[in-house]
This record gives sequence, C-alpha cells and structure tokens, in this order.
Amino acid sequence: MKNILKPSLILGFMAFVAAFILSHMNNITYPEIAKQAAVKQKNALALVLPSYKVGPKRKVLIDGTLFIYWVGEKVEEDNTLKGYAFETSAPGYSGEVKSMVGVDETGLSLAISILKQTETPGLGARSEEIASKSTFFGKLFGKGVEEGNVRPWFQIQYSGLKLNEKINIVKIGDWNESMKDDLLSKNSVTSITGATITTRTVAASLENGFKRLLKAIEMDAKSKEEVSK
Amino acid sequence: MKLWKEFIKGIWEKNPILVLGIGLCPALAVTTSVSNALWMTLATTFVLISSNILVSLVKKIVPAHVRIPVFITIIATFVTVVELVLHAFQPGVYKSLGIFIPLIVVNCIILGRAEEFASKNNVLLSIFDGLGMGLGFGVALVVLAFFRETLGANKLFGLTLIPGMEPSTAMVLAPGAFITLGLMLWGMNAINSRKKVK
Repeated sequence: MKNILKPSLILGFMAFVAAFILSHMNNITYPEIAKQAAVKQKNALALVLPSYKVGPKRKVLIDGTLFIYWVGEKVEEDNTLKGYAFETSAPGYSGEVKSMVGVDETGLSLAISILKQTETPGLGARSEEIASKSTFFGKLFGKGVEEGNVRPWFQIQYSGLKLNEKINIVKIGDWNESMKDDLLSKNSVTSITGATITTRTVAASLENGFKRLLKAIEMDAKSKEEVSK
Repeated sequence: MKLWKEFIKGIWEKNPILVLGIGLCPALAVTTSVSNALWMTLATTFVLISSNILVSLVKKIVPAHVRIPVFITIIATFVTVVELVLHAFQPGVYKSLGIFIPLIVVNCIILGRAEEFASKNNVLLSIFDGLGMGLGFGVALVVLAFFRETLGANKLFGLTLIPGMEPSTAMVLAPGAFITLGLMLWGMNAINSRKKVK
C-alpha cells in the first residue's frame, strides 16, 4: 500500500504544481497571442480588400466543411461595388497552406495573403519570404539597401488573375514586374524554383475556394429570399 | 574547479551532438539558418538549466520508480512556458521553429542530463552541467547551421552573401544536414584520435 500511495501522491502533487504554473503562464500570454491573431487577420483583410468597407466575418458549412468569408463594399461613381474575401487552404508539400484571398464582383482576384504554411525553408517557404536586397557584406560595412519591396513576389503575382478560369503554372524563374502582363494574359503564375508543388497548391486552393465562395453567396441569397417570403 | 570541469565537459569531451550523439532531431531539423539555431539553443538551454535545478531539488523526495514521469512533467512544464512566451513575444521565432519547440520535451539531452546528472548531484553543479551541455549543443548547431545557410541559401542571418550566385538547394534539405553533420563528426573524431596517439 505504502509503495503505491506515496509515489502517486508525489506524482499528483507535481502535476498539480505544473498545471498551476501553466494556467498562470497562459493567463499572462493569452491576450498577447489573441491580439497578434487579430492584427494578422485585420492586416490580411486590409491587404486583400483594399479601400473596401469590410463587413463582419461569416461562416457557412459547404460540403460539410467550414467556409469563412467576408463581404466588403465600396462606392465608385454612384455604383456600389461588392468585394469578397475568403479563407482557403490545400495540402502542400509538408502540411496545410492557408491563404486569404480577395476577389471582386467579376471574379478577378485582388490580392492574396498566405496566412499559414510549413513548407521547406529556402524552397516552398519562399512563398512568404521577402527577398532582402541588401547583402551580408553590404550590411556589415554599412551599405544596406533600402527595402522597398514589402510583399513577397510570389503573392503579388496572384493579383489580377481570373479565378473562374483555370490558373496555369509556368516555370520561368522568379517573378518580376516585366513578366506581369504576359503572365496575366495567360491567366498564369510562375512557380518558385524547386517548389512547384507549393505553387500548384496555392493555385488549386484559390480555384477551389472561389467555387466555394460562389456557393456561399448563392446560399446566402436563397436564405434571404426565404426570409422575404 | 569542479564547477569548471562540469561546465567545460559539455562543450568538447561530452558534447551532446558530436560525441554522445543525442538530440540529433532538432540539430538536423532547425539548422537551416543560424538565427534558428541560436533561438533553438536558447530555448533548449533554458529548459535544460531549469529542469536540472528542479530535478536536483526534488531528487530526495521522488521515489525511484516514478522518477521518469516526474522528470517528464517538470521538463514539459518548462517547455510549455518557453512555447507560450515565444508565441506571445517572439511570434517570428515561434513561427520558424514551429513544431520543434514542443518537441524539446522529448529531446534526449534534457531527460538524459536529469537522469544521469541532476538526480545525483547538487543544484550548483547541475546548473553548470546544464549550461555546459546547452552551450555544447549550441556550438554544434551554430556550426551546422552556418554551413547549411551559407552554402544552401547563400545567406547569413537572412542576408545575401554573394549577389547573383545560385546556392545549392540540397544543403538546405535533409541530405545537406546529414552530410554536414557527418563531416563534423569525422572532424571531431579525427582530432580526438590524434590526441590519443600523442
């Protein structure tokens, strides 16, 4: 009996102390973590729906899975234009790649923002990286270059694509401003060298997410009709 | 003198990565950049020292046959503290280290030192043992990360080294980690065996 009781009590006590410490630790850090998540979402919304007045977050079940989207409005020459933002994800090379996408009434993507990815550093993770223009030795000797480019090129190239059509993937190296018109005319994006899977994942999640958005809008319109009846 | 001996053994004679061959999982996984390696070292060393202190304090009251669960509870508590703090105040680091922060719980170095050293020695010695082991772990990680980041990404601390040069991607991926670690082990053994001959 003694052999069981004492060890159990000690182990139980240890677990209690650990739980006590961690609950306090959680209390201290939770507000900060929640604040970051909120800021990240707000920034992403402002990026994908620029100059739109964005409404509250909406959630619907489509084909059994949760779909999160926002409806934004902006007034332009007496017309009220609608814009939508939605969250979408697809499995990448090593885990889910989740992004927020902004799209206007005509199905033209406004901008995307990758919210979460765990792709290979140096390859797929470049989807979220901003290439630093200054070099190590430059920085060392105080010759840092002004960082002008604030968004990763991989995400910039998704602006202006037609989401209701297939997004093509071409392999012509890193994106730059001069490729823009040519790529957009073919409704295509250039893939990250060595990470075609990541590129394909993002493109597929965009196509799929847009289909789900259309369904969500349709469902919303139907429920409004029923209410008015 | 004894303190110094316990401290210095972790760096060369009993280096956890290069000699004991433990804690290899984070050593291979997070060494894609020097800054990742440094943060990993910091997190692991903090957990190592804290758990060494606590294990050495409770060593007399913990019955032998529940010591492993007690040690793991202590280690997991500190790891969770590190995880929460990093998540709240260093979100960038939390993001790039990802799953490898909670995985510190199962890092053999920490449980190994708790079991082999802290549960048999006093608090002061345990602190120095933890510090030395953490530093030894860190040195190995930083050297590994230095070669992988410079050769694999042509970068150091996220800044380009030679503009326009195409880096060899394999160094960033798993093979690069294994090859670099293998070469480091070879170098370490070569130096040690030469010492013995003398």
